[in-house]
Parts: sequence; structure tokens; C-alpha cells
Amino acid sequence: MTLRVPEIYQVLLPTGLELLGVEYERVPWVSLTCMVKRGAETDPPDKAGAADWTAEYLTLGTVRRSQRQLAEDVESLGAQLQARAEYDATYISLDGLAEDFPVLMEILAEVVQTPGFPPEEFPLLKDRRRAELAQMLDDPRELATRSFRRLFFGGAPYGHATRGEPESLETLALADLTAHYAREFSAKVTSLVVVGMVPQDRVEKEVRRLWQGWPGGGPASPAYTAAPERLAAPGVYLFDRPELTQSEIRMGHLGLPRHHPDYFPLRLANYILGEGGFSSRLMARIRSDLGFTYGIRSRFHFRRAPGPFMISTFTPAENTARVVEEITGVVRDVQEKGVTAQELAEAQSYFVGHFPQSLETARTIAHQVANLSLYDLGLDYLAKYCERIQEVTLEAAGLAARTHLHPEALSILVVGPAAKCKSALENLGGVTLLTRI
Amino acid sequence: MTLPATLEPAAWNPTICIVPFYFDNGLTLLVVPDQSVPVVSLQVHYQVGSRNELPGITGISHLFEHLMFRGTEELGPEEFARILQAKGGEINAFTTRDHTSYFENLPSEHLELALRLEADRLVHLKLDEENFRTERDVVLSERKLRSVDNPLGLVEEQLFATAYTQHPYSWPIVGWDQDLRRLTLKDCLAYYRTYYHPGNMTIIIAGDVAPEAARDLVGRYFGDIPSPGRPAFPKVIEPPQRGERRAVFKKVSQVEAFLAGFHVVGLDHPDVYSLTLLSAVLSLGKASRLYQEFVRPGRVAELEAYLAPPPWTAQDPDLLVFRAIAAPGTDLPRLEKDLWDSLERLKTEGVSEMELARAKKILKAQTVQGLAKNFFRGLLVGLFHLKTGDAQRVNDILNCYGAVTREDLVRVAREYLREDNRTVVTLQPVSPEESQALGPLA
Repeated sequence: MTLRVPEIYQVLLPTGLELLGVEYERVPWVSLTCMVKRGAETDPPDKAGAADWTAEYLTLGTVRRSQRQLAEDVESLGAQLQARAEYDATYISLDGLAEDFPVLMEILAEVVQTPGFPPEEFPLLKDRRRAELAQMLDDPRELATRSFRRLFFGGAPYGHATRGEPESLETLALADLTAHYAREFSAKVTSLVVVGMVPQDRVEKEVRRLWQGWPGGGPASPAYTAAPERLAAPGVYLFDRPELTQSEIRMGHLGLPRHHPDYFPLRLANYILGEGGFSSRLMARIRSDLGFTYGIRSRFHFRRAPGPFMISTFTPAENTARVVEEITGVVRDVQEKGVTAQELAEAQSYFVGHFPQSLETARTIAHQVANLSLYDLGLDYLAKYCERIQEVTLEAAGLAARTHLHPEALSILVVGPAAKCKSALENLGGVTLLTRI
Repeated sequence: MTLPATLEPAAWNPTICIVPFYFDNGLTLLVVPDQSVPVVSLQVHYQVGSRNELPGITGISHLFEHLMFRGTEELGPEEFARILQAKGGEINAFTTRDHTSYFENLPSEHLELALRLEADRLVHLKLDEENFRTERDVVLSERKLRSVDNPLGLVEEQLFATAYTQHPYSWPIVGWDQDLRRLTLKDCLAYYRTYYHPGNMTIIIAGDVAPEAARDLVGRYFGDIPSPGRPAFPKVIEPPQRGERRAVFKKVSQVEAFLAGFHVVGLDHPDVYSLTLLSAVLSLGKASRLYQEFVRPGRVAELEAYLAPPPWTAQDPDLLVFRAIAAPGTDLPRLEKDLWDSLERLKTEGVSEMELARAKKILKAQTVQGLAKNFFRGLLVGLFHLKTGDAQRVNDILNCYGAVTREDLVRVAREYLREDNRTVVTLQPVSPEESQALGPLA
């Protein structure tokens, strides 16, 4: 059988709200997503987490229902209500059985349009976030990723964790959340994505009934698209954690925005460099040849503004400097010499062959549909996806690697036991010791 | 209005069609046809996991799973994964306490290639001292990642090591550090010959394939591979626990925490459905008891009651584990006491009809949602077959949940969640200096 790429329907309401939908026949499921195209990048500098805390707050009660009532009503349908802010967008999603579609859509509309912001929930939310943060900072992988972001971007919009930083616990107040909601939750920057076993006409009817009277607030913040003015200087930074047996390593530099014309060639080049699991050069060298790690990957975080390019791995602490050196060598090799015709052909074949699996569930389809709206990729994006992958030439992939990889300008963060790795790292150049991040 | 049948939820049939084939060499093939997307999930399950290991060679099942990717007479290291990934495949493997499983989710047109390569590594695996040592280092790094440097990894290992005194579930799947260092290539080759053959394996093919075509392909590549017959395993039964066991684990940590395990049942026991629903009533979702009592007010960062649901439940009696991570400033002994008091209330006052209905609907919804993926459908079928010998039980899951009553929940809570049947390990934070003074972590 051949793959049928889902047809996407689009309806624009007079308020500016956009409905994107897909009829999905596989299982009686429906996935509803309200995407507000503003997220954690709009958090004020000293109020990291404002967007994400606001998103969670919407689930803590509406003008009609308390937190508990809302949770009981949602979960008695077996449904899942989730709310979170990422960079570039905030997502309130409700997934459940298709037979419950009308009720689910009513609940989602109520949560987004008429939040109660009950003040008694604020200290509870804060206590939960404090507990969660303490727990996260015990996890060396989480600590390293958060620390790298903060070190690399400093106070720029992508520099803080979307869920907030330790300082947020003292600075965020309920008024920040209501202000964020009033400003950013505007129909003009909102898309509803509905993927499920529900016919288009029924979805459209419910959306018009429940959403056309909601203009939301605004005006929303201007979309953040600029590259930050200042970034961490390249070099090695070491955060001593004497109790760890392995070092967590993060290496990176500034990447590209999603709309960049080199998106496809660079995705393919990076698959070959470090995103392609056992097909990647980094995995082949650091794991398969040397046995220095269980896992390694590289990733360009393509966002509305340039996101980071980041390589992540870990290794028994005594190997740290060697691993850093080896990684730099692999990046340099790809940057200087490009990739081979066979590597490119295999990468293209992977992306094309794997594409149908990304269309198996309602949630994964919804995710792709939301993305094409968020980054203005066009409604025919999925239909043309495989073609775009296949038309990348060896020259284009090589040029993308040459232009957008910067092995000489990597910022390198090591979170690990300094006693076991510092002196070897110093042989690579100056090491900046961090006492806090 | 009449809907097209494909968009009518009520017309949807959740029954999973299973077509079995049995080969003369002992191999079982279960085909789960589904033509929704041009994808198949090929799953090769070997009926051997950490339960079949012995003290001194713990971790060999998992280490061997890694070695299966290290090349054959025809292929170099990791080439197996590279070739199939280049066809759009998701390639991976996992080891559990009860089985070792390899899977390839890929476009259906490449099923034959995947079968050919699986048969190749079953018969012609090529291992030498060098790639054995390299892969063992990879596994040592994995152990450090998952257990040693993981906030609760070693605490969980301590829980199982304390709760099980005789049964092999007492050691971790990844194995003890010193056993991994002691294992030799010779041990691994002996293990390969004993457990990796058609008499000890089941193949599942779920997705876009005709059953007879699947049978012919499997027959072509696996039908002539000889088998020494099913290996015999001694049946080990963990004796009933006769009194609470407690342990303390000290490590550098920002949080205090405890894990508590109660011996319950394995997948084959009918109480597994009541126990899964009980866990859901307790901590699944934000309307659940423990969320409302402990998480919502910020007393804990996390508190859950967890038993892997059927068919992920272990084959032999498993632990139902409570995992409590205290919020900064929370008094841990008090937290633990309040948790047990809450359980006692459940045992005396029961659960409401609404609580049970909510838990049932959540589990139904999760099952339906999962059925969208061939990989998940194949696993459901395969795991029931491996652990109970009856793949058709997959079609009874929703009925089994549906039949559970409020009285069942109270009964299993009283029967299993008893103090005498409980093991508690507490994580006690110490400074880096104190941690070093206690000796190396491994």
C-alpha cells in the first residue's frame, strides 16, 4: 500500500483565530490543541517561567470549575489536559476518546477563555515548582542542559528554562501571570488544531459555536526573531560536582532560525553528524569505536529566532578531555570535508522512509500541523516534505555544513568531578571554573 | 446525519486479529495484520532476561543485547542498525527481567531485509575480544547514567535487593558493576548458544503484511535454523515477606525521598487488573487521591504508586512501588506516616464509584490511544504470549478492567499493602565530603 498524506483543512474566524484540522480514521481518538504563538521567549528578564506558569494556571480552575472539579471532569472522560509553554508558543491540549469530542471542546474553550486565576492556588503552584526544581537539579543531565542554556545565552530570551529558574520562585507573582494572559492570549495569534475521528463539519460547527465570540486580549508581544547581541565566549567551562562518576558534556554555538533556506540541507548534514543514532559520525566514533559513552547526539534547535546548536553526551570522568577533543575533531571533519554521497543518500532515505511513522497517531499529526502553522510552512508542507528532502544535493549539504558548523567557536560546558577531569581539560586551553550557574 | 463508517467511533472494533504460525524448529510467529499505514513492526523476542542470570554474571542479558549489534560475518559493527535506519527504520532493543526484545519499525516494503538481517545475527554473530571490551565500556557508562549518577537509581536498586532475598528480581537488569567487569567474551558466547535459537524465540510482525506472506518470509530465513530445544529454567519463588524491611541510602542530593515496595503478583494472576486500577485511583491524574493530598499542596515533588500495567507487569510476582520525593522542608517521617494513614483510610472507607469509574476510563483511553501504533499493538500481543503463553488475552484487557469492583480494590489493598509485606528505602542527603568518606559509588 502507499502512504496517504493527511489532508489539512483550514478555517479562519473573523477574530483572527485559525482552525486547522485533520480527519483521522485509525482509532477513535481526538487530539485538541490550542496553540498561542507566544511562549517563554516573552518572559520578562527577571520573570523566567511566566508563560509556562500561566499555562499551568489555566488548568487550576475556571470561572465555573475549581481545580479539583476540572481534573475530575476531564479524567472521568479518560482524557488528558496538558498545558505548557515552549519557546515560541504555548500549548493547551486536551486529548481523549472521539465519542467525547463535544464535551472536550467545551472544556478546552472554557479553560482558555475563562480561567478563574484562583489566588489560593498560587502558593501551592509555587511550592510545587520549588519541589520540582530541587528534584531537577539533582539530575546531572537536566542540570547540564539548563546550565548550558543559561551560560550560553545569558539574559537573552532563549537563556532561561521555560519552566523557570530558581530566582523565579521569589520574583514571580500572580499578577505577572494574569498580565501575561491578558497580553499574549489573543485570538489573532492563536491556532486550534483538531486531529481525530470527527468529521470536519462537526468540528467546524463546534469551533464556531464556542470560539467565534472570543477575541482574547492583546496586542501580543512582537514576535521574537532577532539573534542575541551577546553570547558566552567560546572555551571550556567547568562546573565541579565532586560526587558524580561521569561528566555531562554540552558543546555548542548559535544555530539558525526555522525559516532559514538551508533548513533541509542542514538537517541532513546534522543527521549524519550526530542526530542519526548509529548512522551518525559522533556515535560511530565516540561510542562504537571508543566505547566512551552510551549516547551522544547533536541538534540544531530551529526556532523563530536562531536557537542553539548543541551536542550532548556523558562519559566516565577520566575520559572527559579526550571526548571533548574527539567531538571537536568529528565536527571539524564534517565542516571541512562535508559528507559522502552514500551518507547523504542514506540520510534522505531515512527521512523519507520514516515519514509514515510520524503520521500514525493523532498526537504526532497534531504536532506536525501545529508546527507548520507556527513557522508559516504552508498547508502543503507535509505533502511536499519528502520531495524537499530528496532534492537536497551533496553540494548543498556540504555547503550547509561548511557555513553553519563552527568547530573553532564551540562553547563547552562540563558538569562533573573537577578532580578527575580538570587538569586534562586545561591542556585543551583555558578552563573557566564556575561556582554557580 | 450518517457518518462515513471510518469516522464513527461507535463502529470501531478494538479487537486485535492475531494469526499464529508454529514452525517445526520451535519458532512461534504471530502476525497482527493492519493496513492503516504502510509500516510494519518486526519484533524478535528471546525468552531470556535478568531472571535467568546467576550471581556473578548479572547483567549478561543486557550486555548481550548490545553485542547483537556488533556485527556478523557479513556486517561490521552497528552496520545492522545503519542499513535498516537508511530504509526509514526505527531500530532498537530492550532487555527486561523476563525477556530480551529487538525491534525494527519500518516501511513494509523492507520487511524481508529486516528478517534476513535478524536471521543473520542470530546465526552468524561475530564477536572478538576488542569489540566485546568496547561494548562492555559502553554498558558501564550506561550503568553510571541510569543507576549511579541518577538521583534515585541506586536507591531503587537497594529497594529490590532488600525486598527480594531469593528471587532473581533482586538484581538490576543492567547488572552489578563488578559482575560487568568480570564477564568475559567466553561467558557471552556460552550464553548466546544456550538462549539464542528458534526454540527460545517468538517473532511478532504487526502492520501492513498479509499473514501467509509473513509466514513464507519467516520460513525462508528462520525455518531451517536448528534448535536444541527450549532451555529449562528452575522456578524460583520468593518466600512471603514476614515483617517490614527498612534501609537507608546516603548520597549527595537536594531532596529527601523514599521508595517503598510491596510484593504483589505477576501478570498471570487475575489480581493484576485490580492492583493496576488501585494504583490509578491512588496516583494517576490530577484528581487522584495522592495528587490531591500530597502533590497539589506542594508537600512532595512527586508521589506515585506504580505497578507496570498488563502486559508490562513482570512474569513473577512484582513490587508495587510508592515513590515519594519530598519537597524542601517537608518532614520525611511525617510524610511517610501520612501516606500509610491515607492507605489505611482507603482500606476501611473504600473507594467511591466515581474514583473507580475514572480510573477505568483513563486505562481504557490509554489502551485505545496506544492501538494507533503498530509497535504498541505488536508489543501487547507479544508480551502476553511470552509471559502467559496466551496472546489472545490482549483482547480481554478492557473486559478485565471493566469487571473490577470497588470491593476488589479494598480487598487487594488489604491483602497486599500490608506493613509486614513492605520494604522501605530512604534517601538521606549528605554533603560531597561525607559522601566521599562513605567510599566510592558503584
